[in-house]
Formats: sequence, structure tokens, C-alpha cells
Amino acid sequence: MSDFLPVAAVSEIPDPGKLLVECQDQLVVVFHVDGQFYCLDDVCTHDGGPLGEGELKGCVIACPRHGAKFDIRTGAALTMPATQATRSHEVKVEGEQVYVRLSS
Amino acid sequence: MTETAVQTGFNQDAFDAFLAARDEPAWLSDLRRAAWEKFLELPMPSRQDEEWMRTDIRLFRLDRFGFPAEAEASQLDQAEEGLLRQGVEVGGHTVAVDSRPLASELSDRLREQGVLFGALDELVREHGDLLRPHLLARAVDPFQDKFAALHAACWSGGTLLYVPRGVEVEEPLHQLSLLSAGGVELGHTLVVLEEGASATLLAESASLDPEAAGLHCGAIELLVGPRATLRYVNLQNWGTGVWHFAHQKALVDQDANLQWTIGVLGSRLAKVNQHVALVGTGARAQVNGVMFSEGRQHLSYHTLQHHEAPHCTSDLLYKGALQDDSRIVWRGMIKVDPGAQKTDGYQRNDSLILNREARADSIPGLEIEADDVRCTHGATTGRVDDEQIFYCRTRGMTRNEAVRMIVAGFFQQVSDRIPIESVRVALGEAIARRIREYE
Repeated sequence: MSDFLPVAAVSEIPDPGKLLVECQDQLVVVFHVDGQFYCLDDVCTHDGGPLGEGELKGCVIACPRHGAKFDIRTGAALTMPATQATRSHEVKVEGEQVYVRLSS
Repeated sequence: MTETAVQTGFNQDAFDAFLAARDEPAWLSDLRRAAWEKFLELPMPSRQDEEWMRTDIRLFRLDRFGFPAEAEASQLDQAEEGLLRQGVEVGGHTVAVDSRPLASELSDRLREQGVLFGALDELVREHGDLLRPHLLARAVDPFQDKFAALHAACWSGGTLLYVPRGVEVEEPLHQLSLLSAGGVELGHTLVVLEEGASATLLAESASLDPEAAGLHCGAIELLVGPRATLRYVNLQNWGTGVWHFAHQKALVDQDANLQWTIGVLGSRLAKVNQHVALVGTGARAQVNGVMFSEGRQHLSYHTLQHHEAPHCTSDLLYKGALQDDSRIVWRGMIKVDPGAQKTDGYQRNDSLILNREARADSIPGLEIEADDVRCTHGATTGRVDDEQIFYCRTRGMTRNEAVRMIVAGFFQQVSDRIPIESVRVALGEAIARRIREYE
């Protein structure tokens, strides 16, 4: 399993809010909701749309292309047209720094 | 992964220096300048565009690359012979590293018959008037998008095959394009077969460092004259760090034959437009595609079979196998113009998915404006069938042996259409080496 890597400062991501970051040659989205941080691939499993450009409501992100919704806490697909979860990654905060560990 | 060498970038100063150092006909310099202006003007492709919405290039940084550096003769020592040339007696061959020609040979007999084969940027100096009507003038649009404009402005090296009227070249010709670690390849391939000529060109690409970053921004133009026959094989086998962007177009004239086979194994991300235009009555084109993706590779191929004249036949078969987290996007179109009656067009794309995380997108399309045609298309996507594996295991095979045999069988249909044994063997062996142990 990969190491935790610094991706952003806490202050860069408003609450609620999200930030697209590059981590080990991949694009992932870090979410900040109710004081908690989460991280998903920037990929809608329906047709590869950029989740980071979607609308965030509570703990649900909607793909900007066709409206498929995902739970930002687990990556689970909540509505059609997506049927498969998008990959989620571990996040930790130390001081002012947000770290992400990519899932394999 | 090897670090990408920081180069000077594609900026005005670098372009001016590049142009000043070239000894080329004025019309070619003018074309480069016009394309450079277009390159500066055009934005990077947007994911709002249908053609790019499944291909994410946000991690591609053009400013990390620049004009190819001078090739060193020592790089030739690192170059292997290539996969397609093994066991084949060739009539000529070329080798280039980072778009810089390092070696070029053509048999005396072919030379005496008027065949031209070698580095395009060297031959265009001597044969400018002959090539002017063909080079980036009839097939590939140099202003189509930012990558096409970059290529048209900055191409170097490249390959020319010119076969005069009625000359039949029996021995295949071989072209090997190599990339160094962090290198840039902007080669342009131009093939011109005059009326009644015939030839076979085996082209392949590879990286000297299989994991290093690199950029290929290329174009291929195949101009097949009336009653001419061209067999063209293009094996893309870059390393896994290479960004590959290409525009490829063939024009097939009256009663001419084109057989175009592509093998796609390499690159980090490939975005290719492959376009076959049947421009003369009775033209025939067969397009074969063999693709294998692994790791996090993304291979995006957009094909167009454009029937512009009546009584033409086009037959496209693309087959792809995917493993790991890789993705293949194929988007194909058969377009039939109003006057192209009696068209016979076919396109098919089959995808075999070897594990759950891989993804294939097949998007066939028809756009028909004539009313007396036969156009059909199909696409299949599936996983390796557990019942087939079970059957194989009851015959004493391991699971891995069974998977390999099923994958080989999947590609057999397209392999049977390739008449050149070295190509069949090279593709089969390269794919077999890549299949993981699925025990």
C-alpha cells in the first residue's frame, strides 16, 4: 500500500467544499464536509466524467455530465446511471496539512 | 519512472531557432509558420468536446516537452532491430531516435526504379516539387486541432515512401521510430503510391527506456493512387510513460487497395484519429486493429471510414483486450456521401475484459446520405467466459494457460486477416508476454 502524501492545506478547502488535486500522477478530489475530509477518484464510473466539477450537497457529489450521484464517504454509487462505486482513498489531517493515501 | 527532462518548451524563440536551422523549400517554411500561428491560437482540446470527453489529458503538461534534441550516434547502439523485422528480408529500412534520422537504407534495385525511401525531412529538400502537392495538403488537415497544428509546424525526421507509377515493391520496407527517456518524437510519415504501384511498409515505434516519459505528436498520410496496392502495418509500442497524439489519414483512389493494420500496445495515453477516405470509384480498404492495454493505460482510437465515391468497400475490425485499470475507447464512424452509391461498409469492435477494473467503451456510428448502400456495424464487450476456462481445465490446462489460449483465440479472427507472418508472430508474442498470471 502506498504512503500518505501531502496534497493540500486545510485552509485551501472550505467547509463544505472540494478540491481537485494531483497525487502520484492521478487526479483525485478531496472533500471537506462537516469538519471531515474524504477523497475519491475524479472519475464517474458511468462514463468517466469529472466528479470534481460536480455539485456537492451534504455528503453526495453529482457528476456534472449525467447526474449520477456518489457518496463521498465511501465512493458508493447512489443513483443511475452509475452502478459501480468510484474508488475512495484514505485521508488524514495533521496540523494544517491534508494527506491522502491512494488505494491500490 | 525516469524523470522527464526539462526542455525548452514549444515557444516562439524555440520555433524561430528551429525554423532558422532548417534548409527547406520556402513553401514548407510558410506552411510551418501558418501552422505555428494556428498552434498558438488554438486552445487545448476541451472535455466538453465529444471527441475528448472520454480522454482526460489534464495531467499532460506540454510545457515539459520541447523540440527534439540532436540524436547521438551512440543511441543507434541501444536500438534493437524491432519486432516486425525479425525473419523478414526487407528492401530498405530507416531508424530514427526522437525524430532524428540515424540510419537509412534502400536496395539499389529499388533506387534505380525510382523508389524514394528515407527520412522525409532530408528527401523533401531534394524532391520538394514532387512532394509539395502531397505533404499536409491532401490528407491530414494541419489546422484540425492544437496537436495537428503543433505537428505541422514542428515535425522533423519522419519517413517518406514514394513509389513511381507501375513499380511493384515486393520486399517489405521497415521503419523504426524510437524515443529516448523524456524525448519528443514529431515524425511525419508520408506514403505516396502512384498509379498501379504496390508496396508494403512495416512501421513500428518503441522507447529506449520502457517506463520513461515522452511525447509523440505525429501524423501519417497514406496516398494510394489508382489501381495501387498498399499494405501498411503500424505497431505502436511506446513505453508506458509516453503521451501519444496522432492524426492518420489515407486516401484510396480508383480501384486501389489499402490494407492498414495497427497494433497498439504501448503509451501511457494514446489519442489517435484514424481516417480512411475512399475517394475513387471501386476503392477498397481493410483496416485491422489489435489492441492490448494494461496498468493505467488509456487508449483512445477514433476511426472514420469515409465513402466519397461509389462502389467502394471498407471493412474495419478492431479487437482489444484489457487488463488491470486500463481503458480502451473506440469510436468509429462510417460516413457515406450522397453520391457514394453501392457502398459496402462494415465496422466491428470487440473487447475482451480480463479483470473487473478495466473498462472498454465502443461507440460505433453510421452517417449515410446515399440510398443504395450496405453498411453494417457491431460491437461486443465481454469477460473471459468461466465455462470456457472450466472446460480447458477439465482438459488438463491450468487457469493461466486457459486464459492465454482464450485471449489468443479472441485475436485469431483479426490475426487471420494479416498476411505478413512476422506481424502476426510479433503481435501474438507481445500480447502473450503481457497477460498476467490469473491463477
